[in-house]
This record gives sequence, C-alpha cells and structure tokens, in this order.
Amino acid sequence: MYGFEAMTFNIHGGYLEAIVRGHRSGLLTTADYNNLCQCETLDDIKMHLSATEYGPYLQNEPSPLHTTTIVEKCTLKLVDDYKHMLCQATEPLSTFLEYITYGHMIDNVVLIVTGTLHERDVQELLEKCHPLGMFDSIATLAVAQNMRELYRLVLVDTPLAPYFPECITSEDLDDMSIEIMRNTLYKAYLEDFYRFCQKLGGATAEIMSDLLAFEADRRAVNITINSIGTELTRDDRRKLYSNFGLFYPYGHEELAVCEDIDQVRAVMEKYPPYQSIFAKLSYGESQMLDKAFYEEEVKRHCLAFEQQFHYAVFFAYMRLREQEIRNLMWISECVAQNQKSRVHDSVVFIF
Amino acid sequence: MEEERREVCLNGEEEEVVIKDEDKVALQFMDSLHNYLSLSDSLSSTLRQGWLELASARYSMGTSRVNSSLLDLKFHSAATILKITENEDGTQPHFTLQKWVSSEHELESTKLEYKNEQPQDSNSIKSSENLMGLADNDEVQKERHKSLSVFGVLISPKLRATQLSFEKALETLIEIANLRSSLLHSFSQLNQEVEDTKE
Repeated sequence: MYGFEAMTFNIHGGYLEAIVRGHRSGLLTTADYNNLCQCETLDDIKMHLSATEYGPYLQNEPSPLHTTTIVEKCTLKLVDDYKHMLCQATEPLSTFLEYITYGHMIDNVVLIVTGTLHERDVQELLEKCHPLGMFDSIATLAVAQNMRELYRLVLVDTPLAPYFPECITSEDLDDMSIEIMRNTLYKAYLEDFYRFCQKLGGATAEIMSDLLAFEADRRAVNITINSIGTELTRDDRRKLYSNFGLFYPYGHEELAVCEDIDQVRAVMEKYPPYQSIFAKLSYGESQMLDKAFYEEEVKRHCLAFEQQFHYAVFFAYMRLREQEIRNLMWISECVAQNQKSRVHDSVVFIF
Repeated sequence: MEEERREVCLNGEEEEVVIKDEDKVALQFMDSLHNYLSLSDSLSSTLRQGWLELASARYSMGTSRVNSSLLDLKFHSAATILKITENEDGTQPHFTLQKWVSSEHELESTKLEYKNEQPQDSNSIKSSENLMGLADNDEVQKERHKSLSVFGVLISPKLRATQLSFEKALETLIEIANLRSSLLHSFSQLNQEVEDTKE
C-alpha cells in the first residue's frame, strides 16, 4: 500500500538503503572537480583521487597513467559496490539490482558480435567488456553467424532471452542488423524493467516510472538525431522507440519523420519538461545536447534520494556513479591532451 | 646570370628593378617556408580538435562503442589512396590524394580526385568539383558512413565531426608534403646558384 512503506521496508531493505546512501555521500563534490580541473598531468589526477573513495583502486597503478586505466579502475569501485549490495539483497530487490545491469549486458553482446564480425580476437574484446555486463557464456558469442544462432547457442540461457524473439532472423549479421538488434534489445529491456517497477508499486513505481520514461525519451531523441542522413527508414526508426514515456505515442510519430535537428527541437519544445533542455542550445546546434540531457538526468537522480523506502535510490546511485566516471574520463582526456580550457564543455556537476 | 627587368611604379615614378634569378629562387624558398610553417600550425590545431572531438564522442556514446578493438581487420580496399609522382628530372616528388575511393567506385575515382597543386590551380579544381553535382556528394557521404560503420550505424554527430577533422588534417598533411618537396627543390636550386656564383 503506497504511503505505508515505512512500516515494512526496513525489514529487508533498510540496511542496503543505508549502505547506498553512504555510497552517495562519497560522490565527488564541486570542490573535488575544481581541484581535478586544475591538474596538469594524469599523475596529479591520481594524487587528487587518492583522497577519495577511488584511492585504493588507483594507488598501485604505475606511471605513466593512461586515461583508460583511470576509467577502468574507477569502474571497479562501482562494480565492487554493486556486488556487495547484490549479495546482501533479497527478493525483489535482488531482481531489481540485476535489471540495472542488463543494459551493460546488451552492450557487451553487441561489442563481442561486432568485434567478431571484424575478425578481432575474442580475448581482446572480452577485456573491453563492461564488468557489470559479464555472464558465463559470453565468449561463445563469437561462434554465432546470425541472430538465430546467437539466441539458440548462447543467449537463450541469459536474462536477455525474453528480449530476443522480437529481432530474430536467419540473415547473416552485418552492421545495420547489429545496430537494429542493439536498439530492439534495449527497447525490450526498458519496457520490461518499466513493467517490473510498476508491479512493485508504491514509491518505487512512481519514481522509477519517471526515471525510466526520461531514459526512453532520451533514447528516442538520440536515435532520431543519430539516424539523420543514414539508411535507416522512418518505419525502422519508429520501431526502435519504446512504448512508454512522455513522447509516446504522438511525439514518436513526429520524431519518426524528423530530418534535421531543428525539427527535433520543434517536437521536444511541445513538452514542458524538455523545453529547458533545448533552451540552453542555439538553433542548429546539437553538440551540447548530450550534456544538457546528462544534466537533466543527474537532477532527476539526485531528487530520488529525497524520498525514503524505495528501490529507486539504488538505480539513481548507479547512474550517478556512471556519470561521475564519465566526468573523470573527460577531465583526464582534457588534461592528457593539454586542453584544460575545454574541461567544462562536458563535466556535469552532481552536487 | 640572367636578369629580369621590371618596371615598378613607386610614388608615381617609374623605376626599373632588376630581379636576379637567385633572388627569385630565394623569394620562392622563403614563401614556401612561410606557407610550410603556417600549414604545420594549422595541422596541429586541426589534430587537437579532432582528438578532443573523439574524446567527446566517447563521452557521448560510451567507451564500449568507440574503441580500437572495433576496427575492422578484414581485408578491404583502402578508402583513400596516396599517389606519388616525380617531375621530369626526378628531383621533386609530388603527392596526390585520392579520397573516398574504393574498388566499387573506381570509375568515379577520377571525379573524386583531389589534387594538391600550386595555389593558382586550386580555384580551377574547386570549380570543377562544384560542377560535379549532388550525386557525387552523395557518394562521398556514403563512403564516409561506410568508413564509420565499424562503430555502428547510429553514431553521434560528434563522431562524424571527428572524421571530418581528421580528413582535413590528412589533406593538410599532403599539402605540407608537397610544400616540403618544393622547399627542398628550391633549396637545392639556391645552393646550385651560390656554388655557380663562387665558381
């Protein structure tokens, strides 16, 4: 019953909610980012991060550092936090936490399949996979020649299996079919996650509906912009949009026929929650759109912590950590390329 | 020693200026050197922009979508070809870039050929390129998309901007190579003139 979670939530979820709120207080602050933005070398960044929760993960890394090393080690911190929470969680929280990683699983599957199509070594590809998206038979993906084999040989025993029947064909895999597979899988995953959260009910359903709807809308806009000028037809583009969110269904109809960024802008400006995003951009500009979306996402995820006794805090924490790692990657790249004046182009402050 | 006599109008009075051949070569050498340094600076800033745009694309799309392990190791025809020709006495190599040429489009390769000739010829080349029409631009766009498809079909505009930056850097590199060739040729001519003078 919504409104009475305080009576029962702490029995199974109290400890982990306290843990995740503790992790949230360990996120980097504006002062931390100001210090990092003034670093001259990657070793300076490592020195500043040694005073944060990332310290133990970077302390043994030898110089000279590389930006990918910083990102990998910071990701390990996220993975350790997640695994600790997962092993302590009971149902339905454990299922909820597993849902959070399915997006990474889809990315890893596409990485392996694409790399194999390009005749890359499987071990090399496995090293590039996100650790949160790993599963036992992932290396076997390299054997499949088409989607039917992909499903039958490997994915039928993974959590992604229910998402596959919508995109199974016997045609050989190529760049376009892999891209459609990626987006179709992600669409099915988001819709399934949304239904699961609705079933949980209460504050979890309310807050997660908002967060997942934003994710679906953002994906719709990105798919539209990225498909402009490509061979993807309007019908195929329409099929990749999720069947929920603020844009569903009328906004999707309009987005499907957009041919440039200004038409996308015209569609989005009809929806008040997204007017502020495009208000920051000038006409014809799309470079800063990603940052605007990330800022809006961070704002919504921070608000999730204002309410207690729901699971959305776990989802919000994972996304905020991922944003923090993206920030660190960007700062590291700007420092490594000696372009510190461009640091604030993409850093999104969380607090 | 040949001399060139020119009439120059300066402050309303006509004066005769004698320009020696070795002065001409020296001027050409200095002009080429100036252009070489300008182009080197331009190349540096274009490459910096390209690398930052690549980092920006990795930020937007994620590191799993933009990384070196996705590059295609299958045998395929080169999208861009560099041709090196020499002048009659074999002392000055000339570099020509053929962009976005693959085996399927060899018939159109002459149309897409971009010649890095001396500046006075660039206008005629550009005007002939403008006459090619939309169809050829579509072919170039297709080749560009095909080249980027290793990272997926639905890619961020930032990655496309990165491609354009590195394409521009490649063109600048070819111009630098041709200028360097011209520089070295002028330098050897100057040396020859000086030695002839000493004799």
